[in-house]
Amino acid sequence: MRSALTSTSNGGAPSRLRPARPARRLALGVFLAGCLLLAGCAHYVVNDPLPAVRSGPVYRFDEKETARNTNSLFICLVFSGGGTRAAALSYGVLEMLRETRIVWKGVEKSLLEEVDCISSISGGSFTAAYYGLFGERIFTDFRPRFLEVDVQDALIRRAVNPLNWFRLASPYFSRIDLAAEYYHEKVFEKRTFTDLARRGTRPFVILNATNLANGERFEFTQEQFDFLVSDLSTYPVARAVAASSAFPFLLSPLSLKNYPHPADFRLPADYEQGLLDYDTNRRRYYWARNRAMYRDDQDLPYLHLMDGGLSDNIGLRPLEAAWRRTSGFIRKLISDGAIEKFVIIVVNARPDSGETISKKESPPGLGVVAVKTATIAMDNYSFETIEVMKELRDMRERAQRNIAACRQRLAACPSAPPLPGFAADLDPYVIEVNFEAIPDPKRRKEFLEIPTSFTLTPEQVDRLIRIGPELLRAEPNFKELMESLKTP
Amino acid sequence: MEYLLVNFPRIRRVKVDDEFNGRTGEVIELEAGSHVVSLGPPANFTPDEQRIILKGTSELAPREISFDLHE
Repeated sequence: MRSALTSTSNGGAPSRLRPARPARRLALGVFLAGCLLLAGCAHYVVNDPLPAVRSGPVYRFDEKETARNTNSLFICLVFSGGGTRAAALSYGVLEMLRETRIVWKGVEKSLLEEVDCISSISGGSFTAAYYGLFGERIFTDFRPRFLEVDVQDALIRRAVNPLNWFRLASPYFSRIDLAAEYYHEKVFEKRTFTDLARRGTRPFVILNATNLANGERFEFTQEQFDFLVSDLSTYPVARAVAASSAFPFLLSPLSLKNYPHPADFRLPADYEQGLLDYDTNRRRYYWARNRAMYRDDQDLPYLHLMDGGLSDNIGLRPLEAAWRRTSGFIRKLISDGAIEKFVIIVVNARPDSGETISKKESPPGLGVVAVKTATIAMDNYSFETIEVMKELRDMRERAQRNIAACRQRLAACPSAPPLPGFAADLDPYVIEVNFEAIPDPKRRKEFLEIPTSFTLTPEQVDRLIRIGPELLRAEPNFKELMESLKTP
Repeated sequence: MEYLLVNFPRIRRVKVDDEFNGRTGEVIELEAGSHVVSLGPPANFTPDEQRIILKGTSELAPREISFDLHE
């Protein structure tokens, strides 16, 4: 058999192409076979099914408190999306929390040691996952390893590597898998959720993505994976971060398998009850329905996930659910009277690059329309998420005030039965770090115009890290919290 | 949010939708909608569980339900 490169023409006359030597032909054949093999074998990392018997740590919130991280002071951080801009801003806030000393229940510690959970989206997920995996080591190596690295360039280099072209030709391997490989090797040291669970310390990190099929927020926790009859513990953390930050058009969706559900599979009671609430509580009904749908594994054997920002670009929704739902880890602690101070710090790296569309008479091109379509609805909706949390806070405070006022009045009537109250009063705080709070308009504009990218200059990264603490210190609710934490 | 008060002659943990949420004799803050309420061990109470729909309550007028003690 001859290859095109060894063909002759004109009845055997030598062609301009020199006949390939057998060794070269062999090498070429091996190369092509290798490429075909690469293309054929290239497959994304598939999530494992649940084992018949679970062993080892499981990635769930652990209610057990320690002296250094109590339930009574319960702090949750929320890191929004926004590429390296969001990652650096949230890193700066972590640094400040580490430097802020408090005394709580007689133990001196940093505010960071009291952080119980972090919920994150997209760029914020890099900081959240890194802190969750490596703890305070983040302050020594996260900057050179991620924040100051031209990640976009590194991803492009992988994509243009000819060896990867063949892998990308596989229908089961795409750009997001290349990105996840890079994060796995270069950022997260090949750690899995077992490593995250094995640390046995808080914070409980919730990395959020979006299921393209139903637009549902998808969180990388065992509770969510139970609905897929899948084991999160063997799954690489880097892939969860990649899904969380898979911006539409630039990256492809990340796929997961929904395994066959056993005959005795039962929805948790909170979900079963939620499915009855179409008329009484639509919010709970859709929450339950969106997870219950995974039972239909015949029709939905796969999930395809994209950027968490498509369903919640702040990252607050998991905490809202954990506060409202009877199965929520925050609700259970509040109901038990375990939490005295409940603090939510939202690090919102929302940009505002200025409006240019309206400056031109001609309509915007396809690219601009595509990006706007992907982000406009969520941008309009993000601040509402924060307002919902503030309403929950206000509702609780109002209820406590009413009970206290009634008790005071009843005290004048000794024969009146005692008025029941909550297990304990809650002192809730919703704190937001946002560039909008920068007083100087010129400086504010500079920060709001830092692009959403995984390539920022070291100077931009440095400014972002420094502005986080500045904004947090000036935030009125944070000042109030710090005042309340002062040792009497 | 809605409010529930579970009456029982003893102080006992309350189970709502299979999860421990508060104790008897306390106002329990819950989401509106359908819930299954029961008590923690020992199983010396009746009925075993109660199905309720929480709606239109307030912290001063919570929905009240009772369990009986069987010694």
